[in-house]
Amino acid sequence: MKTIRKIFGIFLLALRASLRTKTVFALLLLMVTSVFLLPAVVKGDGTPQGDCHILVLYTLGFSFALLCLSTLWAACALFAAEIDNQLIQLSAVKPVCAFEFWLGRWFALLLLNAIALFAVYSAVYLQLRWKQRQPGWRESVQLVNRSVVHPLLPTPQEEAQEAYELLAKQKELPQGLSKAQILRVLTTKAQERYTIVNPGESISWRFQLPRPIATNELITIRLRFDTEYSTRTQVTGVCRIASDVLDAPMVEVPLDDFSLQEIEFDLSCQAFHLKHDLSGINLFFTHTGNPAKASALMLRFRKDVVVLTQGGSFEANLLRSALVHWSVLALLAAFGLTLSACFSLPVAVFSSTILLLLVMIGTSVTEVVSVEEEKEWLKKPGILVSRGVSAIAHHALRIDPLESVINGERIEDQAVGEALAWNVLLSPACFAFLGILILRRRELASGD
Amino acid sequence: MNHLIQIKNLGKTFKDFWYRPVIEAVKDLNLTIQQGEVFGLLGPNGSGKSTTLKMLLGLLRPTRGTIELFEGLRPEDVAVKARLGYLPEVSHLHEFLTPRETLMYYAALFGLPQVDAKRRTKELLQMVGLESVADRAVGRFSKGMARRVGLAQALINAPELLILDEPTSGLDPIGCREVKDLVRLLAKSGVTVLMTSHLLADVEDVCDRVAIMNKGERCAYGSTRDLLRNPDMVRFSVSGLTAEVAAEIRLQLEQRAARPVQQDFPEMSLEAYFLKVVSPDANNTAFKVAPFLEKKQ
Repeated sequence: MKTIRKIFGIFLLALRASLRTKTVFALLLLMVTSVFLLPAVVKGDGTPQGDCHILVLYTLGFSFALLCLSTLWAACALFAAEIDNQLIQLSAVKPVCAFEFWLGRWFALLLLNAIALFAVYSAVYLQLRWKQRQPGWRESVQLVNRSVVHPLLPTPQEEAQEAYELLAKQKELPQGLSKAQILRVLTTKAQERYTIVNPGESISWRFQLPRPIATNELITIRLRFDTEYSTRTQVTGVCRIASDVLDAPMVEVPLDDFSLQEIEFDLSCQAFHLKHDLSGINLFFTHTGNPAKASALMLRFRKDVVVLTQGGSFEANLLRSALVHWSVLALLAAFGLTLSACFSLPVAVFSSTILLLLVMIGTSVTEVVSVEEEKEWLKKPGILVSRGVSAIAHHALRIDPLESVINGERIEDQAVGEALAWNVLLSPACFAFLGILILRRRELASGD
Repeated sequence: MNHLIQIKNLGKTFKDFWYRPVIEAVKDLNLTIQQGEVFGLLGPNGSGKSTTLKMLLGLLRPTRGTIELFEGLRPEDVAVKARLGYLPEVSHLHEFLTPRETLMYYAALFGLPQVDAKRRTKELLQMVGLESVADRAVGRFSKGMARRVGLAQALINAPELLILDEPTSGLDPIGCREVKDLVRLLAKSGVTVLMTSHLLADVEDVCDRVAIMNKGERCAYGSTRDLLRNPDMVRFSVSGLTAEVAAEIRLQLEQRAARPVQQDFPEMSLEAYFLKVVSPDANNTAFKVAPFLEKKQ
């Protein structure tokens, strides 16, 4: 009970420290600007979908980025500024353990972030609903939440392992690289692999639905594709869909407008003439374009071919998105607090900003590294650091919730759970351990 | 008597960024402080007083030597921190908090239940005379008022050991007098007080024993009375003598002692005169010890 009282006291102080500074008002002003002015200022493509895109992706994305920076810097200041100003001396001589100091401050940042995210998401949601009342919006923008079902395929890791074994069998493995390095390259390639569908060719996929779909429900098929040199050529095709029951009748959907390089159509399950719920489907696609004129279609089949089923309300998806964002902010708060326990305020802020930049560009750096560059001893440490930071960031930012919200794709419970477990429990626990260790070892005062 | 603080061969060397020794702030210090006494640590600026206090509080780590508090505990122990109160040289308070919030915060750090914390806060604010400004931000306070808040926070846990670093710094003579009275009252109730001060008169007024430090070393150590006593001199103070009688007594003393006798007319101290002029009823306006501290008595 005493521990809870102590943590609550520190929590309350951190809250007051945050709310009684001018910086908070500046942040509030920026948030209001981003939520209400940004959608008005940024010009879309004139369509309601474009406006919706700006409202969700730009407004929420910008507000989230603002919160990321402010959380990181506020966390950096919480210990460092108190140590620098000697304010911590009075607290440090009280019977408070380092973990109580750390947790109290972290909880305060969690609550502040929750409030800020709730406000931003609510403002955007209300704007979306208000705009939906306007003519044109109701028909063209559907605020939906659909489960995404990918085709049954081996995982990129399995595919990479298989490719590795094949290369080993043929004795064609690249020299001077470890197995892990080769597998990493192969996995990346497998994730982004294209299937080329030439005019006249067919391709098929099998989908196992996560729950039985009732006959009165709708499913949506979505195909995204690229063409050679990314030209927007008119390509025609036919989709044939059948349930996974043996000898099931096929539903044929002709497709002839690929100008947006994405096609999406709804299908009532009644079309399958099933006596029971739908549990899986087989999808066949035939490129019916003229072989002499039409371009080949390039499909990243792990990402571009999906079946969408009813996944719940749009509001629930928005809430999941907010939860994922909140979890990332929790991780940043923990990271900032640990830096704050290690360094003075300027050093903590500088190093946190550098690491943030490294996260943003790390993936690009590691992706373009050639095998030869990887061997150079001068570049090796930099590559290793970039890879390490990217690997950690990859776990934290595994899903892009706003992309899912704008695409009407359900953010799965498992993904939210993983984000919460990694960003709110596991990583902060590691950072807390490190921060507490340093706080216990550090001298919190200077001499006379 | 029990040893509340035992310092043996204590040393502190500050190092620079490259871990090269720069200043030896405290050298081979040995001190023992008994339970219930008021101990003064004196010395000029940079003599190592505050560094010693910070090592006692666990804010700095000794380079050499040992510190034992409450019979065998180390300064870093949470059990030690629960039993002491500390007023630093500069109050270092959160400027955005009010005195009430400040005291409630420090009460929470001791894990005090809300009801107790509220009661103690109220009593302490009354004690230090800040009840009327209890909801004004500390950042707007004068140095003396902030000092009072600092003193109140040091007493929120009814400490057994009170460490005061320059407690009268920034206070006016009335405030100084009140603090000294409070120290005496707390000492009477069994609280051990360790204080540092530049103002030697303050220390002389309240301390049972003192240690004088210079350049990190202990130069003198012992009971205040013993240290200040001039063993060869005797002073008599008598009131109501006429000048003739005084001259007669002086003559007799000179004859008896066979050496000249110095005669003077005792003056009150400037502090006492100031208090007499500014606050004739100073005795009535002195700190009233908070009831929760009295209960401890």
